[in-house]
Amino acid sequence: MTAVRKTALVVCPGRGSYNKPELGYLGRFHRDKAVFLEQVDGLRKSLGQPAVTDLDSRVRYSHADFSRGDNASLLIFACSYADFLSIDTDRYEVVAVTGNSMGWYTALACGGALAPRHAIDVVNSMGNLTHKHLIGAQTLFSLVDEDWRPIPGRRAELMTIMDEINGQDPDTLFISIELGGVLVLAGSDQAVDALIARGPKGPGALPMKLQNHAAFHSPFMRQTSQEAKASLPPDWLQNPAIPMIDGRGKIWRPYATDAGSLWDYTFGTQVVETYDFTTAMRVAMREFAPDCVITLGPGDALGGAVAQCLIALDGYGFDSKAGFIELQKDAPVVLSMGRAAQREMTVKKDNSP
Amino acid sequence: MDPAEIIQENFVSRLKAGDLSGYASALTLEEAGLTGPQLVQLFHSQILSRRLDQISRTLQKRGESFYTIASAGHEGNAAIAEAFRLEDMAFLHYRDAAFQIHRAKRLPGQTPTWDLLLGFAASAEDPIAGGRHKVIGSRALNIPPQTSTIASHLPKAMGAAFGVGLARRLALVDTPLADDSVVLCSFGDASANHSTAQGAINAALWAAHQKLPMPIVFVCEDNGIGISVRTPRGWIEAGFANRPGLRYFKCNGMDVLDTYRAATEAQAYARAQQAPVFLHMACARLYGHAGSDVEAAYISKAQIERTQTKDPLLHTAAILIDAGIMTADEVLRLHDEVARTVTRVAERAITRPKLETTEDVMRSLTPAPRAVPLANEPAPEERARLFGSDAAQMKKPQHMARLLNWALTDLMLEHRNIVLAGEDIGAKGGVYGVTQKLRQRFGPNRAIDTLLDEQSILGLAIGLAHNGMLAIPEIQFLAYIHNAEDQLRGEAATLSFFSNRQYANPMVVRIPGLGYQKGFGGHFHNDNSLAVFRDIPGVVMACPSNGRDAVGLLRECVRLALEEQRVVVFIEPIALYMTRDLHTEKDGLWTFPYDSPGTAQPTPLGTVHCHGEGEDLAIVSYGNGFYLSRQAEKILKDEHGLDIRVIDMRWLAPLPGDAILEAVSPCKQALIVDECRITGSQSEALMALFAERAPEIRTERLAAEDCFIPLGRAATLPLPSRDGIVAKAVGMTGAKDQ
Repeated sequence: MTAVRKTALVVCPGRGSYNKPELGYLGRFHRDKAVFLEQVDGLRKSLGQPAVTDLDSRVRYSHADFSRGDNASLLIFACSYADFLSIDTDRYEVVAVTGNSMGWYTALACGGALAPRHAIDVVNSMGNLTHKHLIGAQTLFSLVDEDWRPIPGRRAELMTIMDEINGQDPDTLFISIELGGVLVLAGSDQAVDALIARGPKGPGALPMKLQNHAAFHSPFMRQTSQEAKASLPPDWLQNPAIPMIDGRGKIWRPYATDAGSLWDYTFGTQVVETYDFTTAMRVAMREFAPDCVITLGPGDALGGAVAQCLIALDGYGFDSKAGFIELQKDAPVVLSMGRAAQREMTVKKDNSP
Repeated sequence: MDPAEIIQENFVSRLKAGDLSGYASALTLEEAGLTGPQLVQLFHSQILSRRLDQISRTLQKRGESFYTIASAGHEGNAAIAEAFRLEDMAFLHYRDAAFQIHRAKRLPGQTPTWDLLLGFAASAEDPIAGGRHKVIGSRALNIPPQTSTIASHLPKAMGAAFGVGLARRLALVDTPLADDSVVLCSFGDASANHSTAQGAINAALWAAHQKLPMPIVFVCEDNGIGISVRTPRGWIEAGFANRPGLRYFKCNGMDVLDTYRAATEAQAYARAQQAPVFLHMACARLYGHAGSDVEAAYISKAQIERTQTKDPLLHTAAILIDAGIMTADEVLRLHDEVARTVTRVAERAITRPKLETTEDVMRSLTPAPRAVPLANEPAPEERARLFGSDAAQMKKPQHMARLLNWALTDLMLEHRNIVLAGEDIGAKGGVYGVTQKLRQRFGPNRAIDTLLDEQSILGLAIGLAHNGMLAIPEIQFLAYIHNAEDQLRGEAATLSFFSNRQYANPMVVRIPGLGYQKGFGGHFHNDNSLAVFRDIPGVVMACPSNGRDAVGLLRECVRLALEEQRVVVFIEPIALYMTRDLHTEKDGLWTFPYDSPGTAQPTPLGTVHCHGEGEDLAIVSYGNGFYLSRQAEKILKDEHGLDIRVIDMRWLAPLPGDAILEAVSPCKQALIVDECRITGSQSEALMALFAERAPEIRTERLAAEDCFIPLGRAATLPLPSRDGIVAKAVGMTGAKDQ
């Protein structure tokens, strides 16, 4: 039946994807992955940290607890990777994987460049390090309107204000993530506050400062990068089995990946430089032309960013949020595993491991 | 059976059978200096290139692809891409898709599969040519686009390599090419015979022989045949292996290890020694010349079958399997995955928009204007020092040659990136003294005495533009442009068009020419045909008739090149260089004061000069024709009572139609005086202009005969004369003697 398999790009979400509605995600969907979850919890217990399944099975969601780097990272990874294991490979052929921000570590695991047990360690270590060095802040600005159409001049306006703030206090604000219609900026607390105060408002609640997020993907993270490099063994990284597209749009291919370079990128470059998810999506869609995009859970927040990337690329049958919603009703091109209906379309029917 | 299918089948069946004897490399990975992952990357680039060749043929049958010249058999050039730096500018052969694909892997965010497919499909979104041609090229990858039907891109590659060292010597900053970069150009064995290849290699050696930096690698991809004509066995090696000053490397292009080894050595040598290198890569032409080519018509079946076994992909597969990096099954799986991926990408790429309107097509004919750094404003003392004794003469009116010399001096003083180059323009100061003292004023690096090869002179200008300089090359005589015209027509003029305005090669080509020289006759020094420049889209041509205009026009030409990145041709009428008088001996009416920079009105593109306000007749002319018409004007007034106006076109291309019609409009009659041959001259365009847009104006013309210029006193016989103009004007107006 492989002839009728749909080709899929798998996209792994980053921090901020496990929120109140996701409470109990592992319990609802992934009871069948006991071995994997035991590995996850085993590490946590050995480090004296709350088990991920315990967090997931709490009665109440506490944003303060769940958004902490040392909790959120592995919790999100566990949900995402478990989702990846649930994809029905009889119906979908995963031709490439990519991710956003910490989703890169998940992508490494999905692609096969990190064995699951190492991936668990990497994600937890990076989560702990970012929590330990909670330096600076991150904020989101929208580059598109409510209907996901570009706001003319918005980016230039932001860049001007950013340059002005940097002009007063050099190297204090950076582009953290290019995230489809959203620009994530990182910097010192003071600079981020100034940017939010002076920057363009809307749509909706944006700009928004992200709680418990540091100045990810900026030079503020140098210490984190150095400690990661000192503690995480280079030989954990290996050739992937599935092509992976990183946060610059570089493709790491099976057999063709230099593990040392991948290690340098993963714990160096991407930690301290802009993570360009938009470019990663462009490269993935153009170089692999998958039939569909599967965004892993938890949550479905990344689906919007993916759709915004597709709007920018053109040729996917929609050019606005309304158009996207309409298209998704009958023939969805973006399958969010965090959405019940679309999840049904991606997972094995019996959900067996 | 389609050769693409035969070779594909051969690849698959041999791998399945494990029959890879004869495909191994003589080198190990370590000896070649490559790692396992690097080798797989190379293999992937090779397979991808091959698959693109295949699908282009399939798509062509569906009417979705428009280019089937394949890279199949040349995919070893991926290893050359691996050996060079991303920053090394590459002017590539049309069979170098694997090079581009592989170089794209150096720069994250690149989409070579998509990009090349958009090119095949002639999509307006093709990132290099915007659907105007399938070219190998990429701005981001430092690959200026080439159509390279012949080796016509080699002269500019030589020029760019010369420009690397020249920028250093001139201490220019922020030039596009790094100080330690190497320029690479590739071409086929048949093209190696072309005068452009021979000339470019000769020019590179000529420079290197004088110890001038020339960091260039000429890559000859020798597949042994040019369309249907076989390259004699050993011919390339015989021609290039023992050229003095040319370091020769040889490799088996079937074998990526050997190719990488040789390419690494070649680029290292060129970089370290700043000297030219010839890299001779043996390869095969697996798919025939192009999709439409039936090889069986000119090659024996046995020979075709022998060639089809020479598959570089099988070589790389064998190396991978021998080295234990991949199994045969894994190789086949990768091969299959690439094929399926390309098929999917192709189906999307062919849906992308095409060029729909003429305006879309023409949008990139001229480059995008650019922000130019403010001109250097020389201190008055510096300027005075530079002009030396000439400064004292500036108060007196001067002839055109002297005024042009001063204008060039001021321009070179203002713009440190201007470089003059040509035969005898340096030490001698030009055949007519126009470039006198410029070498003393600015040094030999800015007034370059070139070798005697017009193709190389124009190639140098293009190449220097690629490294941020503004060349003002001189073609010594108009007749000499004809052996080199393709460097303007096929190369310089098309660069903006085929790169969708991403590349430009601004320049001002100075060309002394036209007839009427006293005592120096003969066709080749008096050539009076400008037709060669008239029909090249986007090229600007100016021709002054007097010294004052020459200064204003030259400054505007340089501005057009600097700011609008235009290719400009500046025709200098030799006979008017030293002309001082208009009507009578020593009247001095054709000498003019020098307008120092900032003291005169500009002479914008598209404007004309109208002398007089008479309405009895308008004479439209340029160059010598304007000068003679001015002489005629006085006679017509004094002896025939005619009050006429004489219009100097100044700009010959594009034709300043609006300005001409406006200047002529008060008159009911117009006489076109054209010193160029009646066939192909400006007069043809002017007659058409009046016929189409001002049919109410009675128009006649006086142009040179369709004849070459003879020697001695006969030299002016085929040309319009003062008296001929008078007679024609009198005839048209019915004026009588007074």
